[in-house]
Amino acid sequence: MFTPPRFPAFLIRTALALTSLAALTACDPENDTPDPTRLADVFILNEGSYNKANAGISTFNSTNRQMLDVNRFQTANNRPLGDVAQSMTVVGSRGYIVVNNSNKLEVVSMPDLKQVATITGLLLPRYFVAATADKGYVTEWVDYGVAGRVAVIDLKTNTILQTIPTGTMPEAMLLVGSKLYVANNGENTLTIINTLTDAVESTVTVGDSPTSLVQDRAGRVWVLNSGLVVYNPDYTIDYEHTTAGSLVDFAPQNPMVQNRRLFASNQARPQKLMIDFSGITLYYSNGTAVFRMNTTDAALPATPIIRRRFYGLGLDPRDNTVYGTPENFSGPTKFIRYQSTGTPIDSFAVGIGANSFVFYR
Amino acid sequence: MRTGAFHILWLVLAAWALPLPASAQLPAGVEPTDTARLLPAVRVEATRPERFAVGSRLQVQDSAALAQYRGQTLAEALGAQTAIYLKNYGPGQLASMTMRGTSARHTAVLWNGLNINLPTLGEADFALLPTTGATQVTVQHGPAGATYGTGAMGGTVLLASPVRWGAGLQASAQLDYGSYSLWAPSVEGSFSNQQVAVRVAGSARTARNDFPYNSPELQGMVSRRQQNADFTQWSLSNDITLRTGQRGEVMMAAWLTDTDRAIQPAIGAGNNHARERDQSRRILTGYRHIAARQESVVRVAWFEDILNYQATGISSKSRVRTAQLQGQHTITIAPRASIQVGAEVQHFGAVVDGYARPVEENRFSAFTLVRYDPHSRLHLTANLRQAVLPGRKSPLAPTLGTEWQAGVWTHQQLTVKASASRSYRAPTLNERYWRPGGNPNLLPEQGFGYEGGLQHTWQLAPRLRVQSEVTVYRQVIDNWVQWLPAADGGYYAPRNLRTVRVWGQEASTQLTWKTTQYRLQAQAAYAYTRSEKVRGYADDVDPTYRQLPYVPQHTVVLTTSQNWRAWQLGTTTTFTGFRYTDSGSQEFLPSYFLLNTSLGYTLRAQQNWSLTLLAQGYNLTNTHYRSYAAQAMPPHNGQLSLRVAWR
Repeated sequence: MFTPPRFPAFLIRTALALTSLAALTACDPENDTPDPTRLADVFILNEGSYNKANAGISTFNSTNRQMLDVNRFQTANNRPLGDVAQSMTVVGSRGYIVVNNSNKLEVVSMPDLKQVATITGLLLPRYFVAATADKGYVTEWVDYGVAGRVAVIDLKTNTILQTIPTGTMPEAMLLVGSKLYVANNGENTLTIINTLTDAVESTVTVGDSPTSLVQDRAGRVWVLNSGLVVYNPDYTIDYEHTTAGSLVDFAPQNPMVQNRRLFASNQARPQKLMIDFSGITLYYSNGTAVFRMNTTDAALPATPIIRRRFYGLGLDPRDNTVYGTPENFSGPTKFIRYQSTGTPIDSFAVGIGANSFVFYR
Repeated sequence: MRTGAFHILWLVLAAWALPLPASAQLPAGVEPTDTARLLPAVRVEATRPERFAVGSRLQVQDSAALAQYRGQTLAEALGAQTAIYLKNYGPGQLASMTMRGTSARHTAVLWNGLNINLPTLGEADFALLPTTGATQVTVQHGPAGATYGTGAMGGTVLLASPVRWGAGLQASAQLDYGSYSLWAPSVEGSFSNQQVAVRVAGSARTARNDFPYNSPELQGMVSRRQQNADFTQWSLSNDITLRTGQRGEVMMAAWLTDTDRAIQPAIGAGNNHARERDQSRRILTGYRHIAARQESVVRVAWFEDILNYQATGISSKSRVRTAQLQGQHTITIAPRASIQVGAEVQHFGAVVDGYARPVEENRFSAFTLVRYDPHSRLHLTANLRQAVLPGRKSPLAPTLGTEWQAGVWTHQQLTVKASASRSYRAPTLNERYWRPGGNPNLLPEQGFGYEGGLQHTWQLAPRLRVQSEVTVYRQVIDNWVQWLPAADGGYYAPRNLRTVRVWGQEASTQLTWKTTQYRLQAQAAYAYTRSEKVRGYADDVDPTYRQLPYVPQHTVVLTTSQNWRAWQLGTTTTFTGFRYTDSGSQEFLPSYFLLNTSLGYTLRAQQNWSLTLLAQGYNLTNTHYRSYAAQAMPPHNGQLSLRVAWR
């Protein structure tokens, strides 16, 4: 005869203790509720980790020094932004976000980041520039080690109109009048495109690995070249053949006549050239430091304003506040704000791999 | 809370222990009915490595348990049968294990006593290990550096194929067909008499894996078919054991695996047509000499591991050849005491694109394991291992363990277990030689951990038995290696940056009920795991005191297996708690339940033949879940298997 066993108290007690411990800690965490009362004026682009599709955009109110939403794109659209957000550009009331490894351009309304359109069919896209309210350009690497191209985008229909061939690894662009300057980072040239005809007008040699371009108050174009990195067979850098970076400026009407300032060392890669609102002070990073110089200075500065390596660097054109983010792809990045002299102000945590800043209004 | 919750765990343990004497029904000393065993007639049995792992928690999956995962890999078998979290990038994709809050590099995987973790990465991909490679899988939880060597910090997975002498000839063939164009044929044959034992097993598996998944896009949820996730793999294993006279035994084993798989892109990411080819060849030969009070074993093994990766614009090849020599001698110094001394030599020869040059490395270690049973109810072990790594000595790794049968009553038995262990992990070849970044001066990681637990067996009725176990543990791992951006930029380099503290509890209970026609086995297991970086350095921007990414705090597994006449029904329910995906506890993957079932019918004919038809359903509740961030997992899907067996 089978008699059902009576479960002793200790078993029940264990079950109760474990269940209550589990109940206390098993719930999924709740997402932070963003503050809806304030408007964002700084947008931080979080690149996200490769192949984890966790790119995003954080929003910040600089007047109140308040983080509004760590992942505003997700909040606004109830979906993630995509894989590897490379850059964001604002044109009027629209934001254009280039999502590199999702091969797409996301169009959003500003400043709420509500989705407007997704333009697909790009290949390893990098940067966006608008020539008019109707027409934009996106650089595309296409693939590694091949000639890149620039896609022409109809901003009314949000479709790709055509592509224009460039050099390898086309990166940042600069629009001056009806000329579009494309930095061919895999080479030492700029491709100059006429935006009225969308044809390549010429290719100008500027220096090894051009990365970023700005125009100063006098109308001159400034190009920062990182220098060519040459590797030994064992993948260490061959400093015998690695070239130093350079800063080049020229008048748009005569790009072949260039002023050239060569960096003293080939040990670091200068990049992220920016210009302040007055159009006379340049900022850039070089290795473990950030430098500032005047467009009238004959030589490159020797003393940095900030001694720190940044993955992302930004300059608020309204008050020249410098924004920098140390590299982090395993967790939240923090951005640190500095006065234009390099004195730190404050810092805030944002998303993964923050790489750039957009200042709005 | 951090230490407070640890105290709660001790209280849970106390709740178990305290009221027990009151429930004892009969005085001690009466042997439980199930402990009487038939001893083999003449032979002295070989010493098992677990003999020196007293005081720690072991979970054994025998050939019967593995049989239902035939044609699949250890990723599926261990994921469904244990409360261990396997981080899986998709069906057939990389599946790595996190045991007791550590990373994949902290689980040592041993095949016939030899470490088969990929020397370059220092970890094992369980999706590359088909279940036909071994007939017994033992999971040892917790650190055991002295017993199992490098990497045995979170736990150890032991793969073996123990010999059953005199079992005669057995053979079976199986064909699986499943969703998303899955086909998996497998064959297994074995023969043994009293002189020779041979086992041959081969399996193959291929799937297109174009399962549907939901992709959040501009238009809302869009249903898409998974691209670039197909795979084809095969495995062939062969074990031979020969008895040479009364005291000698020659063994040979070979295991070849080959997997060609596309690398599943993340949801929302472009398809870069990445493919990976993983091939491993493992051969082993050994000799065992058994005398009345002594046993000597010598083993020589040669492994070749190939990992070739190719994607648009990227190609990376790697090949590592490992030669290993292991010798051990066990002496029974007294009726209740034995000692094992041994040494191990490993030679690695690596040709890896990322190293830019061929790399050779030698590692040595010597160990002494002592087992002493001062009383029939008290078992003690004291183990010690010293490894010598290139350029530096690793810490001395001792382990102490004890098991005490604290209470033995007519129907119940209670065992108290405890162990403390220092463990280590030698830097991987990638950590030392990768260019740029590889750091030849890395120190071995070292951990100090201890645990305590209770094991309770209860014969509720002649045919109803409940076995339960609860363990609490704590371990601190120092010099934890982390890859960080290098000072001169542009690449990452590994450094000994962190101190990580892990602690938690594991509880499981198993009920077995047998009648002449019916058999029920039900198992419930729960693991609570905390894992936090408690100390870092200024360069390490990740915060301290946050649960490490991909370590769920809660995992629960409930399995049932029922047999009635020719029918068999099995269910597996797993609950995986939320897991953070970043070091700042900002993003997480939601918790999920998974339910799988299987229904089988066996037809017997002419005494020796049997035909089994098995239908298996996976993810029956059609849960949308993620094991790894942005990697799609299949909705409900199924598989049909037909097995023909002789004997």
